[in-house]
Amino acid sequence: MGRRRRPAGLAGAAGALPEAIAALSRALPAGPSPETFRRAKFDRPEAAPALWRLLFRVLSPPRADGASASRALEAQARWVKAALLAQGYPRLRLAQLPDDGSQGSRELLLALSWLLARKPLLERLLARTRVRLGDELPAFECGALASPGLPAPRLEADGPVDARHLQWLMGKLRFRWRNLMASQQEQCALLGKLLPRLESENARLEAALEWRRRELVFWQWMDTVLGACPTEAPQPACLPGLGGRGRTAGARDPVAWELQALQKELQAAVGARRAAWAARVKGQGPEWSAARQAAQEAAREAVGRELAALRQAWERGGGPQPHGPLRLVRTEAGGPGAPGLRAAEAIGALRSREACLEAALHQLQAQCRQQLARLAGALPGLLWIPPPGR
Amino acid sequence: MSIVTLQLGQSGNQIGFEVFDTLFSDSHCSQGLCSKRENEAYQAACKERFFSEEENGVPIARAVLVDMEPKVINQTLSKASQCGRWKYGQRSCFCQKQGSGNNWAYGYSVHGPRHAESIMNLIQKEVEKCDSLSGFFIVMSMAGGTGSGLGAFITRNLQDQYSNSLKMNHIIWPYGTGEVIVQNYNSILTLSHLYRSSDALLVHENDALHKICAKLMNIKQISFRDINQVLAHQLGSVFQPTYSEEGSSHYRRNPLGDLMENLVPHPEFKMLGVRNIPQMSEHSLAYSTFTWAGLLKHLRQMLISNAKMEEGIDWQVRPPLSGAPTLGKMPVNRNLHFNTSLANLVILRGKEVHSADLGGFKDPALYTSWLGPDNAFNMWKTQRAFNKYEKSAALVSNSQFLVKPLDMIVGKAWNMFASKAYIHQYTKFGIEEEDFLDSFTLLEQVVASYRNL
Repeated sequence: MGRRRRPAGLAGAAGALPEAIAALSRALPAGPSPETFRRAKFDRPEAAPALWRLLFRVLSPPRADGASASRALEAQARWVKAALLAQGYPRLRLAQLPDDGSQGSRELLLALSWLLARKPLLERLLARTRVRLGDELPAFECGALASPGLPAPRLEADGPVDARHLQWLMGKLRFRWRNLMASQQEQCALLGKLLPRLESENARLEAALEWRRRELVFWQWMDTVLGACPTEAPQPACLPGLGGRGRTAGARDPVAWELQALQKELQAAVGARRAAWAARVKGQGPEWSAARQAAQEAAREAVGRELAALRQAWERGGGPQPHGPLRLVRTEAGGPGAPGLRAAEAIGALRSREACLEAALHQLQAQCRQQLARLAGALPGLLWIPPPGR
Repeated sequence: MSIVTLQLGQSGNQIGFEVFDTLFSDSHCSQGLCSKRENEAYQAACKERFFSEEENGVPIARAVLVDMEPKVINQTLSKASQCGRWKYGQRSCFCQKQGSGNNWAYGYSVHGPRHAESIMNLIQKEVEKCDSLSGFFIVMSMAGGTGSGLGAFITRNLQDQYSNSLKMNHIIWPYGTGEVIVQNYNSILTLSHLYRSSDALLVHENDALHKICAKLMNIKQISFRDINQVLAHQLGSVFQPTYSEEGSSHYRRNPLGDLMENLVPHPEFKMLGVRNIPQMSEHSLAYSTFTWAGLLKHLRQMLISNAKMEEGIDWQVRPPLSGAPTLGKMPVNRNLHFNTSLANLVILRGKEVHSADLGGFKDPALYTSWLGPDNAFNMWKTQRAFNKYEKSAALVSNSQFLVKPLDMIVGKAWNMFASKAYIHQYTKFGIEEEDFLDSFTLLEQVVASYRNL
């Protein structure tokens, strides 16, 4: 480490970088050891598999972990390359790395930093693997919150109260107390099971905080890593999937030419189909096309109306409503509004949505009725029996 | 929450096996008439309550087996492991080499103190396996020797050691014409002791079960196995999972607690009876269909007329004419055969259970004057069918069901006691005449309380 020239302006003690890397390693799920990071700067091959696996874990969709984690390193490496390409990772050298996952630790380190820099990766990962404490509520169930509470205890009629009734109530109270004790014991047991998981999650959260404090050092170090890469040869302009077979620029033309020809063919086919359809439809009679046009008009109007309604709701609702799971958070009554959806707002939003949908339904039903009436009129001899009245 | 079962004596162990077997086969039955997800939730709830998990995946019944002789326990253990789907724990048994000769006093005063520690240790181990304990279910006979005397002693120990946990004793009421001469002595001693230390006494009468086997199941040679299977079916229909409230989508966590809170909060009224409808042989089941209206109508009349099964119901029995019931005065026009209830719990399982109308059970005329149907009547339900019955209804009732049988036993025991017959067998082992008198007093009080409902 002492051989490395420290970049100018590196604040803090000599140990700032190792601590930053250590924090990052602790905060990442299945994070590689800090030693792996250091080895990767020097492109050591032994660091590569761990980094491939880390990238796989980071890039795979949320619930895929179980089965996919056991995939072979080769499959994981291929997947990582494709995923990075899909996200627009610019360095083509990564795509050129061999699939067996044995090389390229420096490139992988650069890719990881690229992901870290682009978006709140750590936060997303932490949220994904959060320990669930059972205090969540999916947004579409918010309406069910407004349920009636327990019925108020009834007052007995006037007159002498039978002592046995009182004994009954006392006994009931005693049983409820015992049941409560049992429930609390159950809760303790379950919390005990939850504790280790919460502890490890806390450790990761602390690591993430520490990382945030120290990450500047890391980025400065990454500059040196980038500097350590050999300058890239001018990349041939070809798709990575072709694997650097060295096609010349002129060779692109046949491909592009083929694509253009294919497109013309498709357009011709589509045009022919459309013309044939229009001809067939015209042959059915003027009422059909008129009906179709009227239907199109009506549909256009309906869509316009819906858009207007949505726009209104958007403006009224003060922006995008959150979707997905929402956590129940108790706030002081009348306290300052916290970010997020209030129960009342959720109910209001659902009600307005319900109204919109009902309006749309009525409209569609009216359209259907008109259409049927027209059809019935157009075809003499056809008996139309509507369903029993609404 | 989990229930730990204590199987005591010959009948306790034989019945316990049938109960676990019924619970297990029902929860794994493919004809649940519900979605796959619901079936899995039902299975998981049943499993948590009654079975614990072992490494190789075979569920182990949450049970402790106790008997003074090894024969029945060994049979029970081998039957369970033979079927291969569930089993008893390796070290959950306690047995000795000698019996106790149907001597209640020997069971209570000698076996009890001698073996209590080992038995309580086994129970403790079973309790520790539970994430949370709902309570204990103790299966025993009332009139035998080991089961009854030892059972009474162990129940008292459970009361001391687990005072906050619930205890339900399941009691086999002996045949009226039983073989054991001193069965009435044993019965009253058992009942009086259990009344003091247990929370609820769930009773099954051998005579009633025998009739069900003969008339409804059409079994020619009725064995104990047949009787126990009918019993297990009735218990299963009470204890298998049900939903916790109207419109809830979670299964009830604490059935024992909910049952007791609704049925036996009053210390003088702890005797519960079970009725189940329909009950028939599996062969006939395939050809029968039922409506909830029909089932509930029969069940209600079974309750009112104290019928043990759906055949031979006395439809003449009616609730007394309703007028404003005045406290402290016996209604003059009371129908003497009418069974007044203190509290009832109806459990419905099966197709279209939401359409069942239970208005008939909410009639205030069914209940005593000092507890209205709001407090006295409860219903549990689930649409998951039980034990291949497309629709089935169970009734757990705290009512005058057992007044007559109890009165009869007390009367017979008193007659024997008056002539001091066989008393020396008890005094020899520390059960004195005062204990008998205490028992008589307590049970007379229970009979009187129930009669005054």
